[in-house]
Amino acid sequence: MTRFASLVRREWLQHRVGWCVLMVAPTLVLLALSAVDGGLQLRVNADDITLPPLRAAPAAVQTALLTAAAGGATLLLACLAVLFQLPGLARRDQQDRSIEFWCSLPIGHAQSVAAALLTHLLLLPAAALLAGMAGAQLAALVTIGASHGLAAWLGQPWPVLLMASAAMLLRLWLGLVLAVAWLSPLLLLTMAASAWLGRWGLPLVAAALLALPKLVDPRLPAPWFGPALRSVTGESLAALAPLQAWHGFDPGRIEPSLAALPGALLRDAAQAAERAATPGMAVALALAALGFWLLVLRRRRAL
Amino acid sequence: MTPLVKATGLTLRYGRKTALDGLDFEIAPGRVVGLLGHNGAGKTSLMRAMVGLVSVEGRLEVLGLDPRRQRVAMLEQVSHIPDVAVLPRWARVGELVTLMTGLHPRFSADRARTLIRRTSVALSDKVGTLSKGMVVQVHLALVAAIDARLMILDEPTLGLDLLSRKAFYDMLIDEWCDGRRSVLISTHQVEEVEALLSDVLMLDQGRLVLALSLEDIDRRFVALGHDPGAAEAIAASHPLLRYRVQGGSAALFDGAPPAAVQALGQRLRPSLVDLFVALTRRPEINPEASAAEGTR
Repeated sequence: MTRFASLVRREWLQHRVGWCVLMVAPTLVLLALSAVDGGLQLRVNADDITLPPLRAAPAAVQTALLTAAAGGATLLLACLAVLFQLPGLARRDQQDRSIEFWCSLPIGHAQSVAAALLTHLLLLPAAALLAGMAGAQLAALVTIGASHGLAAWLGQPWPVLLMASAAMLLRLWLGLVLAVAWLSPLLLLTMAASAWLGRWGLPLVAAALLALPKLVDPRLPAPWFGPALRSVTGESLAALAPLQAWHGFDPGRIEPSLAALPGALLRDAAQAAERAATPGMAVALALAALGFWLLVLRRRRAL
Repeated sequence: MTPLVKATGLTLRYGRKTALDGLDFEIAPGRVVGLLGHNGAGKTSLMRAMVGLVSVEGRLEVLGLDPRRQRVAMLEQVSHIPDVAVLPRWARVGELVTLMTGLHPRFSADRARTLIRRTSVALSDKVGTLSKGMVVQVHLALVAAIDARLMILDEPTLGLDLLSRKAFYDMLIDEWCDGRRSVLISTHQVEEVEALLSDVLMLDQGRLVLALSLEDIDRRFVALGHDPGAAEAIAASHPLLRYRVQGGSAALFDGAPPAAVQALGQRLRPSLVDLFVALTRRPEINPEASAAEGTR
């Protein structure tokens, strides 16, 4: 366990500067927006909800919206960074020749690959979400302090706000795990292609994803590739975004709405988990296991 | 005494090319073994096989373990420098010490820091900003801080200046070799390591041409210094190698030369370099010597 933790720590040491920047950037943007003349004029339109300009909204609404905005933006940035880095991740130690150093240590190849995947696919986005939601509190302090005064910020319904935020964080963490599980065959097979085929890996995977539904599906008794791709992307988005929990959310009655949110999120989490308990997920995980095995095999043969 | 390394019929093939060809040898505890060979002789392949990075035919045991199948358990008792300049360039030296503490159960961070302080490298330095020699110094310090039973070093001092090389060898002998731990070291700087070695493994085109202790080498091989006038008679007795020494010529024999020939010169201690040249000369360079070796 110490060894695995050290491998995770290695990822942090290697990427910490970039990760810190992306975790802090959304909060800094919100702070900058709140400082401009006229303040942050954010409008949210979701379903039938229309919010007034942010500065005019009650303090708790401002906090809730900023928390959602900063958390979501940081999570999105982290996911984009992971997608951008993932193909290169499979080859980085070979490229700088440090693979010889890592392989001279008592670390299993599978352990090395697993630590990198866990850190980049789960721990980084999860930490980014937490950092974004925490940073949003600073942005909320500045925005609310400027519009309503510090007393309004202090007088918010903190127990309800914190419970709702914690519930949202836990729901999104679960959603992240499920979304990664749904997307894992695409992610790991892309990494494996990059590890085995070098710079051609990513273009070939992209070409295959475009070509298979158009060229192969018409020749099959029933289309498979297109529906499968739509299924994994759709399911991953559905797992990640707790849209069901927001039905009935009324910014005009912020305190009861926030108080009801943990329960709604819990029901939504149960539904998301239920949707994952399908043969489709089993197939996805089996393909991901194939990708993982290919990555380990490539690392073993890297020298 | 149970050997730390035992190889029987060890063969390694890369496709059609045979990198190691039926090697049989043992490394006992407390030995400093030099692995000598030309470029491409199979030294690195042998070391990679010993740390479980390549699959081999035949039998290979390191510390009683199969290096391929029990690689992680074996590497817990082995310290290994695979090549120079392979430390991750993004890391700071102090971070490598921290990481190694978590990654190797027998690594001593205090010892590593002590060894690094003896070099010109600071713990806050980034590997990517260090010269090649400095990277080697850091790597050697990290590896020497592992309380291993076997140290495997592939060209460890490549790129180091003379003083750093001497400092490393001094550290190796004074502080690392304690009579229980063994070192396998491959190098082209044969003259520098000769005084440190207790045994020699000599590879030529994948075959083991010599696996002897230095004492046995001194007993088995005889060098004879002689005047130029005796050269013809000496050559007629088919020495392994004829070479120049200061003030004359010399010939190297496998075993004692005939008594009549012995009377023509003075017995010298054969150097490892001369022995290496004699046993690993390429036939295309010296067909006569190759033929002479073949008649031994």
